[in-house]
Amino acid sequence: MALQLNLLHEQIAEQRQRQRDPLKLGVMALSAVGALMLLFYMFKAYQTLGVKNRLSSVQHDWAKVEPNVTAAQKQSKELTAIINTTKVLDTMIDNRFYWAPFLQKISRCVAPNAQLMGIDGGVSDDNKQVTVTIQGLAAGREPRAAAEELRQLLSEQLADSYRDVKVEFKTLEDLDTIINVAGANMAVARYSLGITFNPSAAKASPTPAPTRPSKR
Amino acid sequence: MIQINGIKFSKDQIQKLALSALGFVALIYVYFTYFLGPLNKSRASMESSISDLQTKLSTSKSEMTKASNLQKEAATATTRFAAMKNLSPEGAPIAWFPPRMKLFFANHQIDKATARLDGSAPYKEAELSEWMRYTWMIDLPQTDFITAAGTIADLENTEPLLTISKITLKAGTDDPQFQQVTIAANTAIMKR
Repeated sequence: MALQLNLLHEQIAEQRQRQRDPLKLGVMALSAVGALMLLFYMFKAYQTLGVKNRLSSVQHDWAKVEPNVTAAQKQSKELTAIINTTKVLDTMIDNRFYWAPFLQKISRCVAPNAQLMGIDGGVSDDNKQVTVTIQGLAAGREPRAAAEELRQLLSEQLADSYRDVKVEFKTLEDLDTIINVAGANMAVARYSLGITFNPSAAKASPTPAPTRPSKR
Repeated sequence: MIQINGIKFSKDQIQKLALSALGFVALIYVYFTYFLGPLNKSRASMESSISDLQTKLSTSKSEMTKASNLQKEAATATTRFAAMKNLSPEGAPIAWFPPRMKLFFANHQIDKATARLDGSAPYKEAELSEWMRYTWMIDLPQTDFITAAGTIADLENTEPLLTISKITLKAGTDDPQFQQVTIAANTAIMKR
C-alpha cells in the first residue's frame, strides 16, 4: 500500500475553515434576507402609492361635491326644523278651545226670563277641560223651574258639541224681590251654574241608513 | 471545541454565529418597526379615508335628492311658517301687542280696550325654542254680550297664535246694558 503524504494539509484545512466561516455565512444570509425584504417593501410601497393616488382622486371628487352636500344638509336641517315647528304650532292652533261658539250656545239658551249676571270661564293648560261658572237671575211663577229649564237646555246644547258635559247648580236660592216682566209680577231666584266639559268634539250620532223605497 | 449536531464549532465561530443571529433579529426589528409597519399603517389609514369618502360620496347623492324632495314637500309648511312668523313684528311684544289689540277692538266698536302683559315663559317643546309664550290680560270695560262674543270670534279667527285661557263677563254695575269683559290670552311670539 502506497503511502500518501498531504503536504498542503494545513492550507486545505484553513481554506475549509474560511469557507464555513459562520460570520461570512451569516452576512450572506442576512444580505439575502435583506434583499428579499427590500423587494417586498418596494412592492408594498408601490401598492401604497396606488392607494395614495386613489385617495387623492376620491378627495378631489369629494371636494367638488362637498359644498353642495353641506348646503343640502343645512337646507334639510332648516326645512325639517321649519316643518316640525309648523306642526307643533298647527297642533296648538287646532287644539285651541274656541270661546265664540260656546258663547253663542249660551246666548241661544238664555230665555228672556233668565238673566245672566256673569260668566267666568277657563280652560285647562292641556285644553282638555273647560270650567265655566254662570251666575244669574231667573224669574217666573216658578223661578226655580225657569232656572232648571236653563240648566237642562244648556246641558243639551253643549252635549251636541262637547264631551262629558256636566251642568250643575252650585247655588239656587229664592229672592224676596218681585219683578215685573212683560207686565206680570214674577218671583225671582238667583242661581249659579257650574259647567264642565271636554272641548273635543262629541261623538257623532249614528245616522240611520237610507231606506230604499220599496218597488211596488 | 463544541459539537452541535455533529458539527464542531470553535469558540470564535460560536461568537460569530451569535453575532449573526443578533444581526438578523436587529434587521427584522428595524424592518418591521421602521419600514413595513409605518407603511402598512399609512396604507390602512388611507384605505379607511377612501372608504369614508366613498360612503360620503354615495350618500351625498341621496342627501341632495332628499333635500330637493324635502324642499318640494316643505313648500306649504314654509309658507305657513312665514305667515306665522309675520304675526310677530320686530321689537318687544309689549310695544306692539297692546296697540294692536286696542286697534282691533276699536274696529269692532269696543272702546277703552286695554291689554297688559301678565307674564312670559319659554315653551317646553324643543321645536318651539325660538318662540315665547306671552300671557296678556285684555280688559274691555264697556261692551255688550253680543258685540263681545262676535269680536272674540273675529279675534280667534284672525289671531291663530292667540289662545284665550280665561274669560270673565260681568254685568256693569252702573249700567246693566253693558258688560265688562276680561280676557286672559296666551300668544306664541317669535323671539326677535
